[in-house]
Amino acid sequence: MTTLSHAPTGARPVPNPQKSLITKLNMGTGMVLGIIFCWGTYYAMKAGRDMTDTHNVNKVLLMSMFAWSVGFLIGIGALIGPFRWLIGKDLTDEEQLYLAGDGQGIKRYFKYCTDHKVVGIQYLVGVMALLGVGGTMAMMIRTNLATPGSHFVTPNVYNSLVGLHGITMIIALIIVATGPFGNYIMPIMIGAADMAFPRLNALSWWVLFTAIPVLCSAWFLGGIPTGWTAYAPLSDQAGPGMNAFLATIIIFAVSTAVAGMNVTTTVIAMRAKGMKWNRVPIFVIGATISVALAIPAFPTFMVAMIQTAMDRTIATGFFDANVGGSGWLYANLFWIMGHPEVYVILIPGVAALMEIAPVFVRKPLFSYNAAIAGFAGIAGLSILVWAHHMYMSGWMPSLNGPFMITTEFISIPTGLLFLVLIGTLWRGKPWMKLPMLSVYAFIWDFLIGGITGIYLSDVPADNYLHGSMYVTAHFHYTLMGAALTGAIGGLAYWFPKMTGRMLNERGGYVAFWFIQIGFNVLFLGMFIAGAEGQPRRVADYAHLFAHANLISTIGAYSVGIGMLTLLWAIVHSWRSGKIAPMNPWGAKTLEWTVPYPVPLVNFETPPIVTSDPYGYGRSAK
Amino acid sequence: MADLDHEELTPTPGARVGKFINRGDVRQTMLLGLLFTIVFVVLGRWVYPHWMPTVLTKQMQANEDIMIWFTVISAPIAGVVLAIAMQSFLHMHRGDTPPEEGIAIRTNTPVVIIWSAASVVFTIVAIVWGLVALNTDSIAAATDAPKSLIVDVTGSQWAWSFYYPAQNIHTHELNIPVNQPVTFNVISADVNHSFWPVQLGVKVDANRLVTTVVHADPSATGPIDVKCAELCGLYHAYMETSGAVQTPADFTNWVSSIQATGGVQQ
Repeated sequence: MTTLSHAPTGARPVPNPQKSLITKLNMGTGMVLGIIFCWGTYYAMKAGRDMTDTHNVNKVLLMSMFAWSVGFLIGIGALIGPFRWLIGKDLTDEEQLYLAGDGQGIKRYFKYCTDHKVVGIQYLVGVMALLGVGGTMAMMIRTNLATPGSHFVTPNVYNSLVGLHGITMIIALIIVATGPFGNYIMPIMIGAADMAFPRLNALSWWVLFTAIPVLCSAWFLGGIPTGWTAYAPLSDQAGPGMNAFLATIIIFAVSTAVAGMNVTTTVIAMRAKGMKWNRVPIFVIGATISVALAIPAFPTFMVAMIQTAMDRTIATGFFDANVGGSGWLYANLFWIMGHPEVYVILIPGVAALMEIAPVFVRKPLFSYNAAIAGFAGIAGLSILVWAHHMYMSGWMPSLNGPFMITTEFISIPTGLLFLVLIGTLWRGKPWMKLPMLSVYAFIWDFLIGGITGIYLSDVPADNYLHGSMYVTAHFHYTLMGAALTGAIGGLAYWFPKMTGRMLNERGGYVAFWFIQIGFNVLFLGMFIAGAEGQPRRVADYAHLFAHANLISTIGAYSVGIGMLTLLWAIVHSWRSGKIAPMNPWGAKTLEWTVPYPVPLVNFETPPIVTSDPYGYGRSAK
Repeated sequence: MADLDHEELTPTPGARVGKFINRGDVRQTMLLGLLFTIVFVVLGRWVYPHWMPTVLTKQMQANEDIMIWFTVISAPIAGVVLAIAMQSFLHMHRGDTPPEEGIAIRTNTPVVIIWSAASVVFTIVAIVWGLVALNTDSIAAATDAPKSLIVDVTGSQWAWSFYYPAQNIHTHELNIPVNQPVTFNVISADVNHSFWPVQLGVKVDANRLVTTVVHADPSATGPIDVKCAELCGLYHAYMETSGAVQTPADFTNWVSSIQATGGVQQ
């Protein structure tokens, strides 16, 4: 990709914000005001209410959680801009520069900072924290399942572990690639100075941040008994912890909508001069399709959560068959989000690997158009397949055939993704660095995930496999084996640009093999348990499944060791790793043309793009 | 995998194919592809059935057939993908500097078309197989209805109970006779459950106030494990019972023994 010098940027205003409220606000003030709002709302609403009535308890808790979120956002300064608009003003240039974190060092990571690179790092640290929490819960689940009859945790704690592990990991994986790389790297990749809406960018992160304590509070409110699917009427029956789940999803859906709108607008409107659509890096295409898919998908989840909240607070009965509601309504709303969400998670991870493969094989990306057709085909079909999760629900058996057809058609665009990767590898001699290892891991993991998905999409086979450990193994192969592997590859690839240092290779290799071998042992064991007939989400099981479960637990511990090693490698490298050159991989996308630290406006001179970024390779002899 | 390189043109298609196959990397890839294909075929044809429970119904047989044959059919595709990946992996470049530039293959239209066509064929086979199996089961359910044994199944937190209307017995075990179709009418007393008599290879959710129906054709005798396949609260893991597909004589004796105690199994 070619860059040329053009008009210099204008002189920056000198920040002089000492008198402004904006300089006084940070994460600390946000937390203080959030807690004040939360407790204030709690005590104000509790007064005069009969708190032995569960509806009142749910009302008070839900409103307190939302109050925390609003209080935090006010306290950190997220609403200063909108408030100024209300009184006919806006932030001054100095204040805007201050919000961008210019010259504030590490403090900017704890402020409402509009610089997309700061937001990217915030997402990265947030994702790592979520994966750590979700992974710890996974270790506890597998420890309990190591032997039949284990009492490592009680059934109530086990059920909560299953649900909270699920939702924590889903949230983490939705943002695992588009959060850190979509924010930090993508605007530079397209030659933009920042995201289209920098304040909304900061808002998307801090709104998400407020959801994390809310989700954690579920533990202190008795946990959730429903799994992450939160099916009604079990969710109506659930205790106070369920409110934390509902509030988390509602808050998260707001964050997702804001981020999705921002990313799509940025890619459509802010590409560098000369960056036609057929010159856009494939990661940008994948991330954009992913967030665009999330924009229509998540509102249905949000609606389902609001309706559940209404059932639990004002006894509306949307999902309560006793008063004319239907659990099937909930299941439909949930899965209308739930299946596109799988691809919201998957596509950016695959796209990151497609970005990596040409660089390390030193060949062009094979069939760029097939890659786009694959992503677009998957995204389009994914909104027409949700009811394959409901084959056995009893809802409309006559639709099982049509949904089986749409679901199985997804294997066609999915096949194109494999073609692009193996076509890029064909006749290549790949440079075996950490990012490239993830490409190979992805091919194996996603192949297993994809083939087993074909069985599950087939109604007669699903008769047996639905609700079994087989399903759990299948979706972990796609979400963890494919999407998380892609994101880890992306982290290894972009780590030098995001931190200025190289990721420790030895630590990375050790982590990679522990994770990948452990992952396959873990979930191949789970495939066996499922084929043998073990239902999923069970705290205990028959002796028949003992060997398969023990194998899975051993694999899980290996994954745990690998993840801890990866964490050590990241922290160690970030603090004292080898200084990275500007373009350590010899890549051709625009982010490698800027130094570290990346300037505030990314490019001293706006780049002009004259070709796509995959001009590797020589002519055949 | 056809040659992706536009440049290696030879006068006749036959000569081109011959030259292509004689290339070392192509032979290596073909060998690896064959090995991976064999592994997947063995896995599907002989290993899968080893893990699956005893087949007691036509439905379970249909499930097992799909597991086996879908694996076998997908084996060559998986073989190609893994072979190309492995072949390139075996030729990795190590070191701190990038390898030499590879061959600039932007795309290869015939390969994209062939790959897409193969995907379409595979998908259509899977769809047709599934639709035929689904239709066969639906027809069997309709035609067998008059001679079916009816069992009303109720799921409640956290137990299964059964009522046989024709025999007027209430039980907590699920026994059914071999070679007689059975229709399960399933309902929940509280939250969602999922009725899963494992060895029968059928499953349907138990919903509050709505009856769902599933039918099975027992073809062999043997024990049944009944489990709940939908998370239903605290003791979901323990919501299970047992039973058996019995000979008609054994089933009749079992029914008589319960009728003798007032129609409720102790």
